[in-house]
Amino acid sequence: MKRYVATRLLLGLVTLFCVTVLVFVATNMLPGDAATEILGRGATPETVARFRAQLGLDDPLVLRYGKWIWGLLHGDLGQSLTTQASINDTIWPRLWSTLRLAGLTALVSVPLAIGLGVLSAAREGSFLDRALAMAALTAISFPEFFTAYLLILVFSVKLNLLPNLSTIFPEMTFLEALRAMVLPVMALSCLVTAHMMRMTRTSILSVMSQPYIEMAFLKGVPRAAVITRHALPNAAAPIIAVVAMNLAYLVVGIVVIEVVFVYPGLGQYMVDAVGKRDIPVVQACGVFFALAFIGLNLISDVLAVLVNPRLRRRTGG
Amino acid sequence: MNDAKTDARRGHLSRRSFLGTAAATATVTAGGLWLPRAAHADTPKKGGTLRLGMEGGTSTDSFNPMTLSDELPIALCYCIMNGLIEFDAEGLPQPELFESWEIEPGAVKWVFKIRQGIAFSNGKTLTVEDVIYSINLHRGESVSQLKGNLEPITEITKLSDSQIAITLNEGNADFVALLGDYHLLVVPEGHTDWTKPIGTGAYVLESFEPGVRAVFTARGDYWKPGRGNFDRVEVLYIPDAVARTSALQSGQIDGANRLDPRTVDFLAQAPNLNVVRGEGTGLRYVFCARVSDDPYTNQNAVLALKYGIDRQKIIDNVLNGYATLGNDHTINPNSPFFNAELPQRPYDPDKAAWHLKEAGLTGSEFRLTVSEGAWVTMPDCAQIFQQSLDPAGIKLELNKVPADGYWSNVWRVDPFCGVIWASRMTADENLTVCYSSTSPMNDSNWKNEAFDKLLTEARVELDQGKRKEIYATCQQMVSDEAGHVLFAINDTLDGYGKNVMGVNKHPRFGFDDLRVAEKAWFA
Repeated sequence: MKRYVATRLLLGLVTLFCVTVLVFVATNMLPGDAATEILGRGATPETVARFRAQLGLDDPLVLRYGKWIWGLLHGDLGQSLTTQASINDTIWPRLWSTLRLAGLTALVSVPLAIGLGVLSAAREGSFLDRALAMAALTAISFPEFFTAYLLILVFSVKLNLLPNLSTIFPEMTFLEALRAMVLPVMALSCLVTAHMMRMTRTSILSVMSQPYIEMAFLKGVPRAAVITRHALPNAAAPIIAVVAMNLAYLVVGIVVIEVVFVYPGLGQYMVDAVGKRDIPVVQACGVFFALAFIGLNLISDVLAVLVNPRLRRRTGG
Repeated sequence: MNDAKTDARRGHLSRRSFLGTAAATATVTAGGLWLPRAAHADTPKKGGTLRLGMEGGTSTDSFNPMTLSDELPIALCYCIMNGLIEFDAEGLPQPELFESWEIEPGAVKWVFKIRQGIAFSNGKTLTVEDVIYSINLHRGESVSQLKGNLEPITEITKLSDSQIAITLNEGNADFVALLGDYHLLVVPEGHTDWTKPIGTGAYVLESFEPGVRAVFTARGDYWKPGRGNFDRVEVLYIPDAVARTSALQSGQIDGANRLDPRTVDFLAQAPNLNVVRGEGTGLRYVFCARVSDDPYTNQNAVLALKYGIDRQKIIDNVLNGYATLGNDHTINPNSPFFNAELPQRPYDPDKAAWHLKEAGLTGSEFRLTVSEGAWVTMPDCAQIFQQSLDPAGIKLELNKVPADGYWSNVWRVDPFCGVIWASRMTADENLTVCYSSTSPMNDSNWKNEAFDKLLTEARVELDQGKRKEIYATCQQMVSDEAGHVLFAINDTLDGYGKNVMGVNKHPRFGFDDLRVAEKAWFA
């Protein structure tokens, strides 16, 4: 087991390195650079050249990348090209915002999704099962901004119950901050719950047709116990995987929700930085996004191994 | 902090009762300007927290005056700093930190008097040296976007402790308006740390998180009487139009800029809101054909496009009527130099077909590069353009490209593409930047010596009547010959809570020239 985790961690580091190279190369391949984007379309070529030199954009690519990765290894994410501010200082509040929203949404949606999924599987073919399936498909089919606008229309414009601006400011009390986050958490939960719930239901049902489940029934074990004791642990691996994918999505893929609810997280920060070709900022965001993916995948794989004794033996350790 | 908030809320409530009558007297015209007339007569009151929600900024914004390029950071700078010149509601230059000025005949040498006894937020008194330093930030080895505009300055000299002289390489009667540019903000001599802005404005910075929020507090005793009335100003970054309007409707903010023209009618009906509309002062929407490239080298080909565009239909369908017809040149109808004699070019497919035939073209030679990078609704506008050209026998091909990198990839590269031109304060700047032979921004690449000569003549002509004549000829030439199919000039649309007083439309920017924090007050 230890060896398995160590190998995966090492592979994760290699992946992370590849991601930083890719992000760096890709951002540099985009037309224009920070100098042209900051100075705008009215700038003269001489001004752009001077600014480029000031920003150090004339250095060869390899050198610039080397400087950046050297800084990263020393815990320094570098300096933003556009604001000249230290990225270490500006990225933490953004990262914390993103993690807080993702965490809160996970807290609401994961138990909900698994609970409803188990319920659906237990009552397969019932009215409840069909109603949940319908609701899930509807929630998945709506684009996220539509769900978000609908929530805003009902809860902030019509009922005036909740704020549609979800930015958290330091002077807010805990309750105020929680209230501000209700709408984005609702919108995101709608999206991810449906997916995880359907996966839970499907995996449990596929296990339900196995002979050992039939055996359990024949023994006289009640249906609820068969599902929770016998089926769920064996169906856990795909459920854990889909939960991990959804959590990763909550960290990296919610720019639209951030924009609609004015919730300044890492996504919007990265999009702005790409627009201005602020490469160090894009790189920093890229590293955190890659970390989220790699980390969550690792955790989900390890968990899948832990809940399934057969896998545990095969990986050794 | 919390006290200020409650105060604002209290003010909001007590105002409700007053508003019953105010709303009844408010002038509501069809798609017009909704402003209670009484609001202007009120004397400014102090106090409260003004919360603004704005589009036009990113998390890469700073207080560096040299790199200002969108409305939000400009509005932030105006909270802290002053300019040399301020534009009034008619768009005419008025004294700000320059108290007065004299022009010597020929408009080559200008003498400016600097306002005395003004203190910076760090306690330092404003001197001639500060002003010279602030102008020079944009000259010489500078990376300023304004550098090109200030190139005509050959010398700035200190005449006394309150006067400077500026010499130009050629006469320019509009030079003072050039100094009203939003980049020209006054900072103390030697100041370079743009994360700690210092200025002579009404407020000081309390906190700033680019892309999230900026908070300002009043300095007290602002040198402009009746201005800088709020205790505290919060500017929130709200890039999404729906989020902005929802926040305004539910009272989470007191003002929102760049309202969506497609939903502004509904907002105007809300009893707790005011909508301020600046007619035809916004962006000029242009399909730009480069006349040095085929088939646009033939003037008839360009005229076919100009007659073949249904301007009114685009304005009605895409901009919901919130725009003024464009007449293929960048001077807007509010300008004192606007050529009203020049007939508005109509939609005339027959005439377009005739010009196409004159040009000896079949009608399938035209290819327009379309992108949301030019302006968000450009694809919609281009589709109507395509349809309206059809009866003239012109099959316009639309080539859709991504928004990212539009200004470096497409504009001035593709022979036929979209461009927006912002409002510029003088006829000279409008025409020189967009159409003079030597301007790097002359995107339709139209070059005409006679036109250049007229511009130079007008620049030194101090008789306004004669200047108007010259500019009228210039507009005629551009409209007929240059490559701009300039079909509309949009309106600025701002929304405010009913308790926000003293806000007006302005010919340069929305949000009362982005100085709403300085000019407004709570009822």
